[in-house]
Amino acid sequence: MIRRSLCGLLLLALTFVAIGSASERERETDDRGVLLAIAQAPLKTRSWHNPYQGQPDAVLAGKKLFLQHCAECHGPQARGIGRAVNLHLSAVQNATPGELAWFLRNGNLWRGMPAWSGLPEQRRWQLVAYLKSFRR
Amino acid sequence: MPFPESLRSLGPSRSRPNRLPLTYIGLLCLLCASLAGPRAVAAQETPYFVAYSHHLEEPGNLEIELNSIYGVQHAGNDFIAPWVEFEYGAKAWWTTEFYLDWQGTFNDSALFTGFRWENRFRPLRHEHWINPVLYVEYENTTAADKTMIEVVGFDSQADHAVPNSIAQMEHLHELETKLILSSDYQGWNISEDFIAEKNLGHDPWEFGYAVGASRPLRLAVTPESCNFCRENFLLGAEVYGGLGTSWNFTQIGTSHYAAPVVAWQLPSGVTFRASPGFGLNSNSHPFILRWSVSYEIDRFAHRVRSLFR
Repeated sequence: MIRRSLCGLLLLALTFVAIGSASERERETDDRGVLLAIAQAPLKTRSWHNPYQGQPDAVLAGKKLFLQHCAECHGPQARGIGRAVNLHLSAVQNATPGELAWFLRNGNLWRGMPAWSGLPEQRRWQLVAYLKSFRR
Repeated sequence: MPFPESLRSLGPSRSRPNRLPLTYIGLLCLLCASLAGPRAVAAQETPYFVAYSHHLEEPGNLEIELNSIYGVQHAGNDFIAPWVEFEYGAKAWWTTEFYLDWQGTFNDSALFTGFRWENRFRPLRHEHWINPVLYVEYENTTAADKTMIEVVGFDSQADHAVPNSIAQMEHLHELETKLILSSDYQGWNISEDFIAEKNLGHDPWEFGYAVGASRPLRLAVTPESCNFCRENFLLGAEVYGGLGTSWNFTQIGTSHYAAPVVAWQLPSGVTFRASPGFGLNSNSHPFILRWSVSYEIDRFAHRVRSLFR
């Protein structure tokens, strides 16, 4: 009976350690200072060009989409809530527009970020235009 | 074939739908809505009623959806079958959903016909050309269920001509599985579902299919918030039907439908959907009409927890 309880406690402790280390890995960056979750995008995405770059209307449209789809987790100011990342961080802003577009499409399902492939590509680029506007 | 009058008389004497269960559901929905804040949430909706895409509910969100179907019945009474869905994003890769079904048949009766619990899982981490989703559902219904959420085996419009008093005596415990294959391409969503359903008591596996395609009327959004603008409308079509059983895999003797679908997503977070459906052969209802209204509550679990702090 005692042995079983100890095994149960050990399993519980290992689970907490695993969860803890997983949440630490969520914030790890690559050598460019980009979150690993975003940096796992294929290399070719780094050269993708945002067709809405430099268009103020696209930034406003992206803000509208952000408030509809993203603000519930990342907050209306995109400063992050709980596990949802602060999108003003350099670990996000260092990513190229193409990497961000890829990440929006794919998400990070095992870490709670949904895939936004249901949004048309044009809307994802509008979101990227808004996210990149934080850097100014 | 019409049922003899002697059999019809076995049914309950009520001629109007019993509204009590729907009242309870309405109250429940109001309670849930009261938990919701003013923030509007727009999900990645597809307009389908039968087909599923690979887009799951966002984690932590609860969508409450009131649906209904009106069916024109050959040699029998037309019916309206409402159902309520509670769809919860348990994880980004797992959506769970609970259904409550009713039906009201004109000149017959209205009754609760059972519940369903479904789960959808995305097994792959990333997007691909074709994205699989595994679907498992347990159904505890009666043969009087007319919601037609799926069409399998040799399901036929004649099944719905049976008087409620007789049909409700047959209880069904069924396991339904689906392989959902879904793709997004240039704003289009194309989904193909292969359905295998098994009555846990007896009967062979029953098979069915559903195929859907849809697209927003406008792919990019405008900076202004708007209700009646093209970006808020989704148009599409779905085709679905039965494919026989494991004993007799065939299209002969099965029913099939084609249905255009339209969805209107309001910035307030409310989505309306409608779909007129047309039977493609004599085993099908000649005409069905589906409609729904849904509302999504963001961070539902967080809001419930905050009530008890």
